[in-house]
Formats: sequence, C-alpha cells, structure tokens
Amino acid sequence: MLLANKKHGESLQEKGDGSPLAMGRSLKGHSVSRSNRSIFIDLLQFFLLMMFLVWVGWRGVEAMEYRWQWYRVPDFFYKQIDNEIIWGPLIYGLQITLYVSAWGMVLALLIGLITAFLRLSNSISGRLVARVYLETIRNTPLLVQVSIFYFVLQPILGINNPLWTGILCLAFFEGSFASEIIRGGIVSVEKGQWEASKTIGLNRWKAYVYVVLPQAVPIMLPPLTGILVNLIKHSAILSFVAVFELTTEARNLIADTFMSFEIWMLVGGMYLVMTIALSTLVGFFERRVRGAR
Amino acid sequence: MDPAKNQLKWGPMDVVVIALLVSFCIYVFHRVDSVLIYTWDWSVIPGYLFRWDEEANKFLPNLLIKGLITTLRISFWALVLSSIVGVLLGIARTSERLLPRMIGWLYVEFIRNIPPVPFLFLFYFFISSQVIPHLGLRENVDALAPQSKFLVETLFGPSNLIENFLSGVLSLALMSAAYIAEIVRAGIQSIPKGQIEAGRTIGLSSGQIMRYVILPQAIQKVIPPLAGQFITLIKDSSLVALISIQELSFLAMEIAISEQRFFEVWISVGLMYFSVCFTCALVFRRIETRWNK
Repeated sequence: MLLANKKHGESLQEKGDGSPLAMGRSLKGHSVSRSNRSIFIDLLQFFLLMMFLVWVGWRGVEAMEYRWQWYRVPDFFYKQIDNEIIWGPLIYGLQITLYVSAWGMVLALLIGLITAFLRLSNSISGRLVARVYLETIRNTPLLVQVSIFYFVLQPILGINNPLWTGILCLAFFEGSFASEIIRGGIVSVEKGQWEASKTIGLNRWKAYVYVVLPQAVPIMLPPLTGILVNLIKHSAILSFVAVFELTTEARNLIADTFMSFEIWMLVGGMYLVMTIALSTLVGFFERRVRGAR
Repeated sequence: MDPAKNQLKWGPMDVVVIALLVSFCIYVFHRVDSVLIYTWDWSVIPGYLFRWDEEANKFLPNLLIKGLITTLRISFWALVLSSIVGVLLGIARTSERLLPRMIGWLYVEFIRNIPPVPFLFLFYFFISSQVIPHLGLRENVDALAPQSKFLVETLFGPSNLIENFLSGVLSLALMSAAYIAEIVRAGIQSIPKGQIEAGRTIGLSSGQIMRYVILPQAIQKVIPPLAGQFITLIKDSSLVALISIQELSFLAMEIAISEQRFFEVWISVGLMYFSVCFTCALVFRRIETRWNK
C-alpha cells in the first residue's frame, strides 16, 4: 500500500536495508561485537513471542468454534481425475495475476519511458501533458482510477475485455512511478557525458542511445524491478471489478465454501512468497549495482 | 544538450503531441455521442453533495460530502495512530538489541509484502467481524452525556457507524505504521554518528541520547514525509470501501448503482479526491519550502 510515498521513501530508505541481523549500526558503536550469548537469548525471546502470538490466535479461533477444513485445500489447486490433472481456481487466479503483472510491467515501462522523455524534452505541450498525467495519477486513489477505467473509459473506448481494462489501468498507475525512476536515472548521468557526446558530434538521440542510456539503465534496474512487486500487489485491487485474478478467485471460493480463514491465510502466503522472492532479487540487484560503482 | 537545463519552446514535437491529443478527444467525443449515444445528466450530483433540510431550513451535507468527511476523519486518526506505532517500531528497528530489531523487521516486511486487499480481508475476517463487535463501543457512546457524545461524534462520526469507523481506522493504521516505521528509521539513521558520540562524551545514557539528541533532530527530517503520508492515507482509505467501511468510495459505489449513473458519479468522486489531495500537496510543499528557508 502507501503508494505515492515512494517519492519521499526512496531517498530516505537508501541508507540502510536488509535483515535485522545485518543492521549492526546503532546507538553504541560496539554493538556489532556483542556477545553471541545475548544474540542467542534474543532469538529465544523472539521465538517465545512468536509462540505466544500463535497461541493467542489459536485460542481466539477455538473460541469461535471454527471448523478447520485444511484437507479440502489441495482441491483448490488441482484435482486428479482419471490420471488427468485439472487445475483448480487458485492456480487460474495465480495465472491471471502473473499475466496482468507481466503485461502491466511491459506497458508501464512504455508509458514511463514516453512520460520521462516528454518531461525531459523542451516541448511545452509535451511537458504539460506529462505533468497533468502525473498529477492526476498521484492525487487520486487507485481504486477510483480502476472504477473510472472500468465504468467510464471501458465503454467509451470500446474495450471488450475487462482484463485488458485492468492491465491498462495498472500500467497507467505504475507508469507514473516508472517515469520518475527513468527520469532520475537519466538525470543522474553526469553532465560531462552529454558534453562529450556533443563534442564527438553525436546528435541528441544518438547521445541518448549510445552514451546516456547504457549508463542510466543499470541505475534504473533495481527500482524498476520494485515496480513488478508493486504490480503483483496492486493487481489484487482488480478484484473490485470483473477480473478473475487470485484475490477474486479467493473471494469466490469463500462464498462457495465459507472457509475464509484457510483461504485468506493461503492466498496471503502465496502473495508473500511471490513478493518476497522478487524483493530478495531486487536486493541482490541493488548490491551488485552498488558494488559495481 | 543536457536535458536538465533545456529552455521551453514550441517545436515539431508539440505538433505531434497536440495532434494526438486532439484526435483522442475527437475519438472519445465520437464514441460517447454517436456510438454509445449517452445523455449526460449531471443534475444528480449536487443533490448528493448537499440537501435542503426542511426542518433546519438550511442546506445540509448529503452522502458524498459526508463520505468525504469520513474519509478525512479516517485518514487523520489512522495517521495519529500509525505515527505512534510507527515511531515505536522505527526506534525498535534501530535498537542495539536484536530482539526489538527482529520484531520491527518482521512487522514491516510482513505488511510491505502482503498486498493491501488480501490484508484488508484478513483483517476483516479476523478482527473487524470477530473482536470489535464485542467491545460494545456503540452502547458506550450512546450512554454518554449529550455534551461528551457531541464531542465524540464530531471527532469520530455518528455513533451508529462508530464500530465501522474504528475498523477502518485500525486496518489503515496497521498498514501505514510499517511505512512510518521506515520513515522514522531512516530519520534516526540519518543523524551523524558524531552526535551520538558527543552525547556519550558528555555522559548521557543511551535513553537520554535518544530523547535529547537523536529524536529532536530526527523529527525535523521526518515531518515532511509524514505530511506526504497523510495524502497517501487519504488515497488508501478508499480501499477500505472493499470491507464496507462507509467512506467516500463506498458511498460512490452505492450511489452509482442506485442511480445507474456510473460516468457522472465516478468522475465527480475522482475530482473530489483530486482536489483534496492536490490542495494538501500544494499546502505541504509551501510549508516545507518556508520551513527550509
């Protein structure tokens, strides 16, 4: 969530990230050399705390007299009938989520690239269009954007498939972040590089293609991967309209089976696996880029 | 050549941009006018903004304005609550001990990696429909003396919706706290190490260093992104419409369905969100520049 905060967040967050074990910098300088015994005790306490939370949750659910039906869960993924595997609704939902995220990423990059070039150009109307687009996206909620795309733009533009309305909407939303990242990457290339390419007689486009972009792209890559993570997360909002992605399938399953606890925990876990895997990849990229510079 | 210092001017690119814009507008107009044959009826909107009250003999806010007020109330209280939790988590994440660091890390990563929509549904099933009704909040508010009830209702909205309101605030605050924790952590870590060493030199304990040296400086750095967080909360509060919290987007959905006026209602609601968020953004930006002088 908290989508637009990235503007502030990114600049601040660069100073430190990673797991708590790696974050040695703290109030006392010698904290890194704290004894292993203390770390062991902390880990133990952490473990006990987690056990306690699980116990509280468990008691809460028991007090409601909820009947767990985990044994029905595999059917939501696949069924085996006569040696033939039939995929379940959660797998279909997952496919749509990934499909939406992949196409959304491609289109968001395209929109971001066009917007970034418009903002960096010296054309008055180009900058104005980019500015209006960015302010509109930034100052309205994604849910309202989805509604406007679905209820207003879809009939007006004559899009037949709600799936593509959803993809377009997400692409326009994430495109605003992509444009900031791309612009930042291009601006971060030193001025001397532009001057040098001018000196050897390259025109503006050749300077972009041969000199600036090859240097800017490695800087942009890690935050752009972050957009893919956001796309997976935000695609869940499409469950508001008729897009049958993972969250919609989960809601339908719950309406059929009343297994709300199992299904939400499962679906939450599925999202967590996807986003954490991608975030780890982003962290890996970031360290490589930082190491290379 | 350097794009950062281009002079604005009209050029061939403007022709392309304007031509594309004009053709898009003509296409939209053609679709609405000749293909959909849609008759606009904006007259339904003002009636939902304000209504004439016979008894009071004056205009009173109707659903859309009430929804907007609820949205602002939810965002404000969520900001207050999540700032408290977020500051504690942020301090925990910079602690010298492993245990608080791990707790902070777990919370932040969990919230940041799970999409808001499944999180809201998890929250709805586990807390808002199981725990909050047992608090007896509504009865307590109704039992208050008229004056204090008036105060509570101005702060938190009408008593018949107060439980609904509370779950909206709680769910948003839980999500926002993770992001505020990151802002606070970055603020604390941006304080130069020399400050801490100086504090230790004059004999302050680490608690005192936190209170008298780090926090006063960190808070100054943290306030601009916190203001941005308020705008983010206004936008994200539209998501709680999915769990039937009666704020602007939820009421917009209901009005659009009951009036069968999707175009007009969603466009107006989009404009309402835009004007509120954009004004806030301008005001915060102005305060920030004045502050930095």
